[in-house]
Amino acid sequence: MTGAAGFAAWAGAAIIVLADGRRGLAVGIALVGAGFTVLAWLAGDWFGGAALLVGVAVCAIQLLRTGRQEWGLMPPGSTARLILAVVGGILSLWVAASVTTGAGAPLKFASVTVLSLLAARLLQAQKAVQVLTASAGLAIALAGASALGRSVPGLVPYLVAGVIAAGVSLLPVAESRGA
Amino acid sequence: MEPELAFALPEVTLYISAISRAALLAAAGSLALIVVFPPPKAERATLLMWGVAGIAAMAAIAAAPSLDLVILLTLAIALLHSALAGRRSLAARLRAPALAVALLGLALVFARLEGPPILAAFAAVGLVAGLAAALGVLPYIHEFDPDEVTAASPIVWMAFLGPVLAIAVITRARELIPTAAAAFQAMLIGLGLLNILWGGLASWLTEKGTSAWHYSFMADWGLVLCAFGVLVADGQSAALLVLYTILLSRLPLYLWSRQPLRDRVQTEKPINLLAAAMLAGSAPFAGFAARVLLLRGATQLYWPLALVIAIGLLMWLPPSLRLGRSLGLPRGRQAVGAGIALALSVAIGLYPQPILSLAGL
Repeated sequence: MTGAAGFAAWAGAAIIVLADGRRGLAVGIALVGAGFTVLAWLAGDWFGGAALLVGVAVCAIQLLRTGRQEWGLMPPGSTARLILAVVGGILSLWVAASVTTGAGAPLKFASVTVLSLLAARLLQAQKAVQVLTASAGLAIALAGASALGRSVPGLVPYLVAGVIAAGVSLLPVAESRGA
Repeated sequence: MEPELAFALPEVTLYISAISRAALLAAAGSLALIVVFPPPKAERATLLMWGVAGIAAMAAIAAAPSLDLVILLTLAIALLHSALAGRRSLAARLRAPALAVALLGLALVFARLEGPPILAAFAAVGLVAGLAAALGVLPYIHEFDPDEVTAASPIVWMAFLGPVLAIAVITRARELIPTAAAAFQAMLIGLGLLNILWGGLASWLTEKGTSAWHYSFMADWGLVLCAFGVLVADGQSAALLVLYTILLSRLPLYLWSRQPLRDRVQTEKPINLLAAAMLAGSAPFAGFAARVLLLRGATQLYWPLALVIAIGLLMWLPPSLRLGRSLGLPRGRQAVGAGIALALSVAIGLYPQPILSLAGL
């Protein structure tokens, strides 16, 4: 189950990397959120997982409710992004399963792969909705990764991440203006 | 019997370190200076509102009990800041701070993974890269539009939020990766030297006056990074004093110079020369004390480093003369403000001990 959750998180991040449209981004963030929620629940953090789930649900629903609805999956010229998504996943799997020792490989894999893929997406994205969705994914992954620490992270990181994920979809995208 | 639905609320311990308190105090002082003596055409209420919001954000970062929360709060602040109307697109405004969050997050994950020592070295690289991206220094210079309103520009990250964020990340990083601490310090010094060189040259040679100010902040940050990298007491004291000069001298002067820069006014009065001396870190201003402490600390660590830094310090002279001239001739409230900024800098330069004691140094 934890392996499937880690895989879902990678798939979500890969879709955020590959999609330009709101529908694709909504599916991507939903998968990232679902992956980390399940990982939190399986670690016994019920309220933390619920906070992530609510935040991600608001974000995904807002993406599907507003703006121009299109998938925008793998538009022409996406080969580099596809290679990034696959190679990023394989490298993260190698780090989590082979380089590191100790338990919790699915959470390590999910954290490394989502953070690195979304960092690459931030560098490449041109539209506000793409950058905002990647930011929501980052918040979710950061909260999930807090469970890797030696001390118990508590509810606060999950709550903050949930609020950020929900908040990005409600953020007013201000028009540019001069000094 | 009714089922129990109560659950314990998470206990969060809020504690602000002495050095963060000192930086917060400087930020509050800078805000007070700017609000009491506002730049021409700036609304005092707007300055106060955004300034207080910034101070609250800095206090939240300084009081966050873990690096996880520092990074999440930084992301929240980046999102709110990018929502302000600026000349750049939202993607351009959010890209660098969000990338910083991703890099810092990756560093945190690598620091927590059990395995070979190379993982801690990766964490050190991520922390330094993330910090550079958050501050907007080389190699992650934020996209800068000289005509953009300051509250929405990258100057907010470099000159207002940056000091507290840098202190929060650097002080926690030392505890997080003790095995890669030497590599972390070395990278800070290397990045610092690079920014001193690049910031100094670009500030001197760039065409636009506002961009020259932007690069001058980068050069100052180079000094701060070098000083934080010199892990002796003098280095840390120097870092704090340079942060004070950024907050209490360079930032107010930058804001007051915006209008003369738009009007293309340049003057060479005594006030301009004094401002140039302050920006260049000449005696008896605060920058001079910071530079002396940094050179002393670098000599203790490795004397050739002090030599390289000493040569680098010469880079401040030509751009500071240029920036000092761009202040124009301050009149009325601004003249009083510039006078207070100069006096504060002299006071700190002559007797920095109260500030260092406040920071526990």
